[in-house]
Amino acid sequence: MKKALLLTLLLFAQPVTAYDRIASLNLCLDQVLLNWVAPEKIASVTWLSANEHYRSAPLPQHVQLNRGQAEELLRLQPDLILVGQYGAQRAARRLRDLGMNVVSIPDAYSLAQLLEQLGALESTLGQLPPLQRQKRQLEELLARPVPTDKASALILSANNITYGGGMLEHQLLERAGFDNLAAARGIEQLGRVSLEEVIAMRPDLLVFYGGEQDFAVAHLAARHPVLKNYIDSGRTYTLPAELGFCPALVVADVLQQLTDKRTTIFEKR
Amino acid sequence: MKSDNLALSLLCAALPLALLAALASGPVAVDLGAALREGWRGDSSDAVILWQLRLPRALLAILVGAALGLGGAAMQGMLRNPLAEPALLGVSSGAALAAILLLYYGSALRAGWGAAWQSGWLLPALAIAGAFCAVACVWLLAGRGASASRLVLAGVAINAFLSALMALALNYAPSMFAMQEIVFWLLGSLANRGWDQLLLALPFVLVGGLLLYCARNYLRALSLGEASAASLGFRGHRYPLLVLLGIASAVGAAVAVAGTIGFVGLVVPHLMRPLVNQDPGRLLWSSALAGALLLLLADIVVINFVGAQELRIGAVTAFIGAPFFFWLIVSARRGQQL
Repeated sequence: MKKALLLTLLLFAQPVTAYDRIASLNLCLDQVLLNWVAPEKIASVTWLSANEHYRSAPLPQHVQLNRGQAEELLRLQPDLILVGQYGAQRAARRLRDLGMNVVSIPDAYSLAQLLEQLGALESTLGQLPPLQRQKRQLEELLARPVPTDKASALILSANNITYGGGMLEHQLLERAGFDNLAAARGIEQLGRVSLEEVIAMRPDLLVFYGGEQDFAVAHLAARHPVLKNYIDSGRTYTLPAELGFCPALVVADVLQQLTDKRTTIFEKR
Repeated sequence: MKSDNLALSLLCAALPLALLAALASGPVAVDLGAALREGWRGDSSDAVILWQLRLPRALLAILVGAALGLGGAAMQGMLRNPLAEPALLGVSSGAALAAILLLYYGSALRAGWGAAWQSGWLLPALAIAGAFCAVACVWLLAGRGASASRLVLAGVAINAFLSALMALALNYAPSMFAMQEIVFWLLGSLANRGWDQLLLALPFVLVGGLLLYCARNYLRALSLGEASAASLGFRGHRYPLLVLLGIASAVGAAVAVAGTIGFVGLVVPHLMRPLVNQDPGRLLWSSALAGALLLLLADIVVINFVGAQELRIGAVTAFIGAPFFFWLIVSARRGQQL
C-alpha cells in the first residue's frame, strides 16, 4: 500500500507527457520543453537554444540541435514535433507530408493569446504540473479586478526603446495597476524615449528589460547616473528577458511581481 | 592680421554661445533660468536635465572636439601632410579596437584588474595604447622621410585593417546588439553620456594637450623640413614620440568615450591655418578651439534632428567634411596651394 502511494506521489511530482521523443522547431517551444518537460523526453531543440542568453534551463547532452530542416528531424524519429505559428513552416509541411506528428502552437502577443497558448500546450503535452501552475496562476491574476488607483510606469529598454499600446508589456503594466506613460504619450507598439523625457515624465516605476549582462553601448541609458535615484529608492523593476521571446514561461510571475511593486509604491506614499 | 585675430576672437565668443544653444536644445522644454538658479543639487526635472544630462553632454562634445582638432593639427604638422588626421591614419580605429576588445571580450582582464576597471582608467589607458600602436604602425610602414602619398597610403591601409578587425571583433562579440554597436564605434555618439565619461576622458585629454604644448616648437621647426629641425636641435626620437604620445592620449581618450568621429581633425586645421599665419604652434590651440565648436554645433544638429533613429554625430561631421574634400579638389584644380 505504502509503495503504491509512493509511486503515485512520484508519478505526480514528475512532469508527465504522453510523448517520449519530442522535438521543437521554435525557440519559445524549446524553452517550454527544456523548462517543463522531463529531459529524457526531449529529442531535439533549435540551435538558438544553445545560446545561454535564451536558455534558463540546462540543455541535456543527448538533445540534438536543429536548424529547422526536415531532414534533421526525420532521422531522430520524434513522436511529436512542435512548431510555432510562423517559423519553419516549410519544414513542418514536409514533415507532415512524411507522416510525422507535427503540432502547431499559436504564438502569443497578448494576455488573451497567452491563455490560448498555454491551453494549446496543455492539450498537446498533457498535464505538466509547471504548465498547469503557470496557467492557473495567470487565470487567477486576470480574474482579479484591475486596480483603479493607478501609479505611473515607463519602460526603458536597450537603445532607449520604450513599449507603448498594443504590446504585451503594456498590457501587463495596465493589469498590474500602472498607467504606461509611453502609451499615454500616444506611442503605439515600440517607440523611443530619451533620458530627458524619462526625467521629465517622472514615472513612479521605471521598468528595465533584463537579460543582457555583457557590455553594450545600447545599455548606456539604463546605466546613466541620472537614474541613480530610481535605483536607490527601489522604484525600478526589471522584466525578465524571457518575456521578449517566450512570455508563457514567466508572464504570471511578472504580473504578480508588478502588482506587488505597485502595492509597495502606494505603501511608501 | 587684425582680421585674423578678430576671427579667432569671434570663435572664442561663439563657443559659450554654442554652449548656451546646446543647453537649450533637447526633446524636453526646460526653464533654463530656473534650473540654473536651482543649482547643481536641484531635484526638479529641469535642474536634473540641465545639470546631469545636457551640461555633461555639451562639455563632452567640447572636450572630444578639442581633442580631435588638436590631434589633427599635431598630426598634419608632424607628418607635414594636409590629409593627415587621427581617423584617416588609424589612430581612432586603433583606440576603438582596443576599447572594443576590453569592453566586449575583457571579462578576464576586468576580473584580474578589478580595481583598475572599477576606477575607470583602464579603458582610456588601453584606448590610448591602441591609438599609439596604430600611429606607430603607420609611421613604421611608411618609413622615415616618407612622401605624403606614401604616408596616406600606409594610413589608409592600417585604418582599413583596424576597421575590419573592429567589425570582426563586434561580429563575434557576446552581445545581442553587436552588429548595431559597429555603427556606434564607426560613427561615434554623445547620446546618454554623463559626468562619468567626461571625467574619465578629461585628464587624458589634458595630458595629451600638455605633451603637444611641449612639442609646439618642434612642430614649428619641422615646418622648415626635417634637416632644418635637426639643425635647430630637434634631433632623435624624443620629439616625434612626444607628439605621438600627445595625439594618442588626447584622441584615444576621446574615442574611448565617444567612438570614432571623423573629419573634425582633418577639416579644422585647414580652416584655422590661415588665421594663425600658418604657425603650427598656434594652430594647435586654434584647432582645439574650432574642433570644440564644430563638434558642439554638430551635436546640436543631432539633438534637434527628428527621426526614428538617433542621427550619428559622425554622419554630421562627414557631411561637413565631404564638401570640404570637394573644395580641396577644386582648389587643387585651380592650381592653388592647399
